[in-house]
Amino acid sequence: MSTAAAEIEDGLGTLAGTGKLLRFQARRSRVYLAGWIAGLAGGTWSVAAAFPGLYPDAAGRASYAVTVNTPAMRSMTGPETYIAAYPGSTGAMFSHQMILWTGALTAVMFILLMTRLTRADEETSRSEVLRSNPIGRRADLAAALLLSGAAAVALGAAMALAAAGLPGGQGGSAVLFGLAHTAIGLSFAGVAAVAAQVAGYASTANGLGFAVLGWAALTAGVGNAQGNWAVWLSPIGWSQLTYVYTPEQRWWPLACAGALAVCAVAAAFALVTRRDFGQGMVAGRLGRPEAKPGLRSATALTFRLTKGVVWAGVIAMLLLGAAFGSVLGSADEMIEGLSEAERALLQQGGASIEENVAATFTAIDAIFATLFGLLVVGRARKEETQGRGELIASAAVRRAGWPGSYLPAALWAATAATAAAAVFVALAGAGSTGDGSFFGTLVYGSLLQLPAVWTVTAFAFAAYTWLPRLGWLRWLAWVWVFVVAYFGNLLDLPGWAKAISPFDHLAAYPAEEVDWAAAGLVTLVAAALSVLGYLGARRRDLHFS
Amino acid sequence: MNAVIRTEHLVKRFGRVTALDRLDLEVARGETHGFLGPNGAGKSTAIRVLLGMLRSDEGRAELFGADPWKDAAELHRRLAYVPGDVALWPGLTGGETIDLLGRLRGGVDKRRRDELLERFDLDPRKKGRSYSKGNRQKVALVAAFAADVELLLLDEPTSGLDPLMGAVFNECVKEAAAAGRTVLLSSHIMSEVEALCDRVSIIRKGAIVETGTLAEMRHLSRSRVRATLKTPARGLEDHEGVHDLRVDGLDVECNVDAGALDDVLARLAAAGVAGLVCEPASLEQIFMRFYGDELAAKGVQEGNGS
Repeated sequence: MSTAAAEIEDGLGTLAGTGKLLRFQARRSRVYLAGWIAGLAGGTWSVAAAFPGLYPDAAGRASYAVTVNTPAMRSMTGPETYIAAYPGSTGAMFSHQMILWTGALTAVMFILLMTRLTRADEETSRSEVLRSNPIGRRADLAAALLLSGAAAVALGAAMALAAAGLPGGQGGSAVLFGLAHTAIGLSFAGVAAVAAQVAGYASTANGLGFAVLGWAALTAGVGNAQGNWAVWLSPIGWSQLTYVYTPEQRWWPLACAGALAVCAVAAAFALVTRRDFGQGMVAGRLGRPEAKPGLRSATALTFRLTKGVVWAGVIAMLLLGAAFGSVLGSADEMIEGLSEAERALLQQGGASIEENVAATFTAIDAIFATLFGLLVVGRARKEETQGRGELIASAAVRRAGWPGSYLPAALWAATAATAAAAVFVALAGAGSTGDGSFFGTLVYGSLLQLPAVWTVTAFAFAAYTWLPRLGWLRWLAWVWVFVVAYFGNLLDLPGWAKAISPFDHLAAYPAEEVDWAAAGLVTLVAAALSVLGYLGARRRDLHFS
Repeated sequence: MNAVIRTEHLVKRFGRVTALDRLDLEVARGETHGFLGPNGAGKSTAIRVLLGMLRSDEGRAELFGADPWKDAAELHRRLAYVPGDVALWPGLTGGETIDLLGRLRGGVDKRRRDELLERFDLDPRKKGRSYSKGNRQKVALVAAFAADVELLLLDEPTSGLDPLMGAVFNECVKEAAAAGRTVLLSSHIMSEVEALCDRVSIIRKGAIVETGTLAEMRHLSRSRVRATLKTPARGLEDHEGVHDLRVDGLDVECNVDAGALDDVLARLAAAGVAGLVCEPASLEQIFMRFYGDELAAKGVQEGNGS
C-alpha cells in the first residue's frame, strides 16, 4: 500500500484531504462569495441608512404600524411582535420589513453555493480529477460544508455591520440580526447538502433546495398572517422569531436552525458514502429514443430547453400574484391609520386606496416576472460557455437564428410569467375586495406593464450579444428597476435615476389614466434594443470552450 | 472550382495570441485530408473559422467557393461537423439530439441512423448528461455520418473512442470517401491518418509547414535502411545522403535521403548483401521532423522509440 493510501486509511479516514480541498474551493468561489455578501450587506446597509431619516418620529412609525398590521401585510413581512415595537424602535421596523426578503436571498445564495461545490463539479467531471488524488470520499462534502459555514459567518458579520447604525436596539441587536442570517445560511447549506446526495442531477438538487425555500416562505407567511405555530416550521421563521431590535429580543429560536443544520449535515455524510460518484440516490430515467416531430429548428430547441424556466416563472408568479391579490382587500384597513397628509398622497387624482395599491402591486409583479426573461438570456450564455451551442452553430442555422432564438424565448418566458401573475392577482384581488369588476381592471393593469418587461428583457439580450462576458449587467439592470419601484419613494431617489427604469414611465393604472404615448414609447425602446441585440448576435465570434 | 476548402494567408488573433498565422490550406473535392498538429497548433481554430463561428482577421477562407462567415447557414446545409469535445444538452436524449441535428440539415434517413446506432453500439434513450465522453462523441458521429452532406469536418473525432469503435469509425470514413464525400480529419493519431487520408497537411504554430500526399512526403523524407553485408561497405561514412550511420561489424543501419537511395543501394550491393530491410518514413517520423526542434528544446531526442 502506498503511503498516500495508508494515510487515508488511518486517522482521518474518509475525510483525508479536506484542508487542501477547502483552500481550493475557497479560491474558486471567492468571486461568488464576495459578490453575494457585498450585494446582500450593501443592499441592507443602504436601506438601513435611509430608514431613520424616513421615519424619524415615533408617531409616524406608530401610524405606519397600523397600516402594516393586517394578516396579508404580516404574511409579507413578519410577526406582530415587531409591529408593537415600531414606535419605540426603528430597528424593529427595519427588521420586520427586511428579514423575510434578505433571508430568502440568503437561502438562494447557500443553495446555489452548495450545489456548485458538490454535484455541479461532479457533473462536469472537474472533481473527478480531485477525487483521484489521495482524498477521502467524504472530503469534498466536508470541504463544501466548512466553506459554507465560514461563508455564513462572514455574511452574518457583514449583515451585523450593515445594521449596526440602526436606533432602537438593545445590546447585541445588530449581532443578533447578523446571526439570524448566519442561521438561515447554515440551515439551507445543510438542506442543499442533503439534496445534492439525493438528486439525480445538479439541476434537480437546486430544485429540491428551492422547494424547501418555497416551503419556508409559505409557512412563515401563513404563520405570521394568522399569528400561529406554522411560523415555527420555517427556517426563515426562526430568524424572525428572534424579535430582534424589539424589547422581547431573544436568541434561542436560532437553536432550531442549529439543530436542523446538524441533522442535515449528519444525513448528508451518511448518504454521501452510499451513493456512486456522479449519481444521486435516485437514478435518472431513460428518455425517448427519437425526437418529437416538433423539434426541428434551433428555435424549437431553445424553447424546449427553456421550458423549465417558463414553468417555474408561471408557478412562482401565480403564487406571488395570488399573495398580492389577497392583500388588496385589507387596503381599506390601512387607510384608517394614516394621517391626512398621507391619505392625500395616496389618493391623488381621486383614486381609491385599492387602486393605488393595485397599481403598485401590478408593477412589482411584472418586475418579478421579468426575472424569468433574464434567466432565459442567461441560458444562452451557458450554451456557449458549456460548448453545447457548437453543434447548433455548425448546423444550417442563421447566426441570428441561434443565439438569436433566445430573445423570443426570453420574451415568452417573461410574458407568460406576467400573464400568470395578472390572472391570479386579479382573481385573488377581486375575491378579497369583493368587487368583481376589479378582475378586469387588474388583468388590464398587469398587462399594461408588458412594454417595460420587454424592455428590460431586450436590454439583457443586447447586453449578452454585445458584452457576453459581463453577465452581471443584466442583474444590475434588474436590481435597479426593482430598487426604483420598491424603494424609489422610500429612498427619495432623484427623478433622473428613476427615469432609467422603463417601469417608471408607465402610468400607475388603475390609479392614473393609461398613458398610451408612454406605453408606445417604451415598446419602441424594447424594439430598438431587440434590433441592437440581433445585430450583436450577427457580428460577434461564438466562443465554445 | 475543385477545392472544397481553401484558405489564403488566414490570420486569426485572440488578443495578443496569434492562433492562425497566414494559414494556407486546400482540400480538393472528394479527398480525405489529414490535418495534423499537436494541441494548440490551431487546428480547431481553423475549423471554427471555416464554420463561420469565428471571423478571420486577415486573409481569406472559402468553403465551396463561398465566404463561411457570410453564408454560414447555406454552407452548413452541405456539411457535418464533429467537435473534439462534444457537449450535449443534459435533458435531451442521444436519439433526440441526432434527430434534431439531422433535421437542421434538412432531414433524417431513419434507416441509416438506426444502422449507425447499431454499429456504434449506442443507446439513444439515455439523457445527454449521463453519457460518457466516448458516447457523447458517438452521438455526434452518428449524426454526422447519417447526414447526406458533401463535406465532413471531423475535429479529433476519435479521442474518446475505444479501439473497437475506432475501427468502426475508420470504416465509416472509408464509406464516406467511397460515396464521394470530402473529409477533413484533424487528428494527432498518426496511424488513423495514415490509414485513411489521401493527402496530409501538417500545421505548426498556426501555419501549414508541409502538405502533400503521403507518397510525396515520403519522397522528401529519409528511408531507414538496415543491411547485413558480406564485406565491409565503403564510402558510406562521408556520403552526403546518409545520416545516423551505425556500423556493427557487417551490420549497417542508417537513414538515407530519398535522392541518395539508389547510390547507397549500389554501394551496398557492391559490398554484397546477405540481408536487407528498407522502410519508408512513417508519418510519425515525417511529423516529428517538423517538431524536432521543439522536442530537442524540451530535451527529447528525435526518433526515440521508433
